[in-house]
Order: sequence, then structure tokens, then C-alpha cells
Amino acid sequence: MNGCGRIGKILPVVLLAVLIILPMLPVSTYIIHVATLIFIWSIVATTWSFMGRFGLVSLGHGAFMGMGAYVTVLLFNHAGLSPWIGMLAGGLAACFMGAVLGYACFRFGVIGDYFALVTLALAELVALLVVAFRGVTGGSLGLTVRSVGTSVWYFQFDNRIYFYYIALVALGVVLFIWRWIDRTDMRKALAAIGEDELAASSLGVNIIRNKMAITLISTFFTALGGTIYAQYLLYLSPETVCGVGVSLSIPFKAILGGMFTLWGPFIGSAIIVSLEEYIRAAYGGTYTSISQIIYGVALVVLIMFLPKGIFGTLREKFYSK
Amino acid sequence: MGEQLLNALINGILLGGVFALLALGLNLIFGVVKIIHLAYGQFVMMGFYLVYLFYEQAGLPMALAIFLAIASMAAIGFLTQFVVVKPLLNAPRLNQLLALASLIIVFENFALFVWGADYRGIPFDLPIIEISNIFIRTSSFIAFLGALFVMGALYLFLNKTYLGLAIRAVSQDTDVAKLMGINPSMIYYVTMALGGALTAVVAAFFVPIYTVHPHFGSAFTLTAFIIVVLGGMGNLLGGFIGAFLIGIVTSVAAVLTSTEVAEIVVLVIFILVMLIRPQGILGSGVSS
Repeated sequence: MNGCGRIGKILPVVLLAVLIILPMLPVSTYIIHVATLIFIWSIVATTWSFMGRFGLVSLGHGAFMGMGAYVTVLLFNHAGLSPWIGMLAGGLAACFMGAVLGYACFRFGVIGDYFALVTLALAELVALLVVAFRGVTGGSLGLTVRSVGTSVWYFQFDNRIYFYYIALVALGVVLFIWRWIDRTDMRKALAAIGEDELAASSLGVNIIRNKMAITLISTFFTALGGTIYAQYLLYLSPETVCGVGVSLSIPFKAILGGMFTLWGPFIGSAIIVSLEEYIRAAYGGTYTSISQIIYGVALVVLIMFLPKGIFGTLREKFYSK
Repeated sequence: MGEQLLNALINGILLGGVFALLALGLNLIFGVVKIIHLAYGQFVMMGFYLVYLFYEQAGLPMALAIFLAIASMAAIGFLTQFVVVKPLLNAPRLNQLLALASLIIVFENFALFVWGADYRGIPFDLPIIEISNIFIRTSSFIAFLGALFVMGALYLFLNKTYLGLAIRAVSQDTDVAKLMGINPSMIYYVTMALGGALTAVVAAFFVPIYTVHPHFGSAFTLTAFIIVVLGGMGNLLGGFIGAFLIGIVTSVAAVLTSTEVAEIVVLVIFILVMLIRPQGILGSGVSS
């Protein structure tokens, strides 16, 4: 246990050092690109796990990610507002949406499958709203961020390395928040709620307040991840940042890595994004659909074998009802 | 406007019949196997393509083509149970759900690979029925009647046969069903095969109404889920009522506004019902 603890302390430091110097090494920009994508998805998967690990399984985090992305980009494209401010606005908008739906769910005791399905409906709802207001949002064709070249104030950089570091820092912040949550009373309360809601409430745990707090934190930083994603790609569409597909891919990454562990969502994102990119690079050019079939089968196989193998012991707390 | 609304109402009822059939298989699977089958719409899409394959591409008679499609989809349902669901029966629910969601990618890209991204349909020249300013598409009417017929047959199967009794027993209490000498594993296979067959039946009725493309299924999964949840998961009668409700709301809201707004209205209703009455219209208590 002691040795494990030491490795557990040293390994992240080594990893961090490697990640910091990686762009300075002679690696291809493609590697930097993939790493940046991994960071961005790790941010979102980690913030999803804020809720997920306490049994609040949301299948609608695409809605919050999309909110962050769309609010920021629309404010910038139409009003010229700096994405740094827009990011806050997007985060608050996502918080508001999360608060409304969350309060209603928690107030009426919607949990388990029902919570998952309500949030799934929310993801589809946001995607449909984006499509319905196509005059403003560009609809399903998507939206391009107005390009201004490299500008720190407008969160646009020609060089990918800037985004690499921004995403890395944001991931660090999110992981730090995870640690912070671990040290609060909220964690104990939420763990108790996740175990047995009725028992927790009979012990005087305020269920709604604790669930609301974690929902607000989770939605805000998920939106932040959405903003970084949109600024990085300079393009967003209902399929890439909101909707059911994205909403399902987020918990997938978290679960694959292990949503109860600090590094789990990061590891899951690294596996999935690498797999996605590898399959695309290896077979994508000629046999796009075959490569996607392989990808889908790989996902099924991973979900069937990996969680049991590596994180099997953590399993019993999954989706506690 | 009044006439338009009446038209929308009647077409909504017809649409409700088709939706009821659509939701039936999903409801059965949820009630018995107790999994959230997220790739259900993709099964309908595959069923549609199979009818297209056997009828249009292989030139078989329609009845035979439909029969073959039903048999194939039953086999795919069986295989899904064998390969994906069975190994995950004791896994966390979220894992089951995500494994089935991954099948969406597999099925959609399989369809893309085999049939390409084009819209495929089987052209039928069906007349439009007109009764004093009310217009009804014959295809919708056939689908409505067919849906009622299939649902009746399924009702009889579930209530009048030994196998149907066993399915209902497993659905109500798996442990007691085991004590009664029923093998739940076998019943799961039967249910998944039946669910698969039902998707092909739905697809057959969709053939004169829609054209199919690889992303055809996703919208139907959500519609089916909304109906199933509205009615109370696993409650077949509730699903039936939910289907007509959604059919009418979709149709009337589409006339009053646009089809997109209609979809949004349906989702909002769904979310509201979930918040106020999560057990659904006819459900009895939330199984937590």
C-alpha cells in the first residue's frame, strides 16, 4: 500500500512533466493535435464524473458542452465579445440550464434510469433548438468561428501548441477541483446520497442542495470544455458538440477509464481518442464505413472487458440506485 | 384552420398507431430483459433495408421479402442477446446501455457500407382517401390497421400461450419465475428475437411511408423511448396510450408551427411528465 501510494504520487508528476515538455520535443503536429483533443475530452469526461461518480448519471452533458460552445461563439460572431468573457457566459448559461433541470429532478426525486433518460432528452432538445434556430446558429450545417488570426484576447491562435497548453491547464484545474471536492463535506454527503438516498436524508443530509452544488460545478466546467473545443476547431455543429451522440460518448470515456478514480476519465479519453484517430488514420481514407464498424465493435468489446478487468473492484458503486 | 386541425388530429391518431407498434418491441425488451435498448431505432432501420434488399434488389415477392426480413431481424435480435446483452446482464446498467449504444455506430456504418448514403425507398402508388375534406394517406391507414392487428396478435400471444405466460412471469418477477421452472435466460433470447422481429414488422409498415438512409433510425429510438417512458416502462397498455398522445401532439403541433417545433414540444412534454410523474401515465411507482 505504501509503495503504491508513492507510485501514485510520483507517476502524475512524471506524466505532467512529460506532457509539459512534449511540444518542445521534435514530435509531429499531429501528435500535438491528438494530445490536445485528449485533454479537451478529458476535461469534459472528468467534469461528467463529478456527477457520475455519485450516481448522478447524466446522458445529457452534450447539452452543457454545446451550451458553452454555442453561447461563446455566437456572442463572439455576432457581438464581438471576447471568448474569454463568452466562456463565462456559456458556463453560466449551462449552469442555469443544469440548475433548472437539476432542481426539478432532485425536487421530484427523479433518479437512476429516469434521470438518465431526462438528461438524454435534454441533449436532444438542445440539438433540436440549435437546428430550429438555424438563422442564428447555422443549424445542422454548423457554425464557423469568425477568424481573426492569432489574438490572445479573442482566444484564437494559429499555432496548435497554445491550445495544447490551454487545454492542459484547464485539465489541471478540473483535476484539482476533483481533489478539492474530495476534501469537502459535500463529497461525504453525496457519497451517502449515492449509496442510499433515503438513509442519507434521514441523517439530515440536504439532498437537493448537495446535488445542486455538484450539478452546477459539473455543468459549468463541462461548458468550459465545450468552449475550448469550439475555439480549437473553429467549427461547431449540433453533431460535434451537443446531441445524443456526444452525450453518450462522454460517459463512455469516463466509464472506460473508471469514473471513480481521479485519472480514470483521462485514461478513458486517451484510449478512445487514440483509438478513434488510429482507426481513422489507418483505414479512414479508403474504407470510412468499415473503419467506423471496427471502431463500434471495439467500443463494445472495450466496455465488455475493460471495466471488469481493470476497474472491476470499483464496479459495485456504479450507477448506485 | 379548423379543418386543418381535424386533419392533423386524425393523421395524428394514425401516426399514433404506428408509434404504438414501434414502441411495443422496445417496451417488451425493457419489461422483460430490463435493458435500455438504445440501438432499437437502428434495428428498425436494418429491417427497412432488409425489406428493400429482398424486394427491390433480390426481386422477391413482397410477402416473402417481409417474411425474410422478419426472420433476419429476429436472428439479429437473438445474436445481440447472445453477443452483447447476455455477457453484460450483471454489469452496471450504464455499461449495458453504452454497449448497445455502440451498436448504433456498427449498424449505421454497416448500412452505409452496404447501401451507401443515398435515400432508398420502394415507390408505391397509393391513393389518398378523401372523406369530406379530410385527407388520409392510404399508407398511414394501412400502417394503422396493421399496427392494431399486430398488437392484437401480440396480446393474444402474451396472454393465451404458455410462452407468453412465461415472458410475462419473467417480466413481473424473475426470481419467482425461476422457482416456477422458467429459464429466464431462454426467455431473454425469445424476447430479444421477438423484439427484433417486431422492428422488421414496423419497418415493413414504414416502407410505403418513408425512405430509408443510414441515419434513419436514431429519431425513432428517441420517439419509442418517449412513448415507453410516458406510458410507464414495461407497461404495454400505457405505451399504447402514450403512442397516441405523442402521435397527436406531433401531428397537431406540426400543423400549428413546424415539424421541428413539434419535436421540441414532444421533448418538453416528455421532460415535464418525467418530472411530475416519472412512473408514467399508467406506471405503478418508480422502481428505484
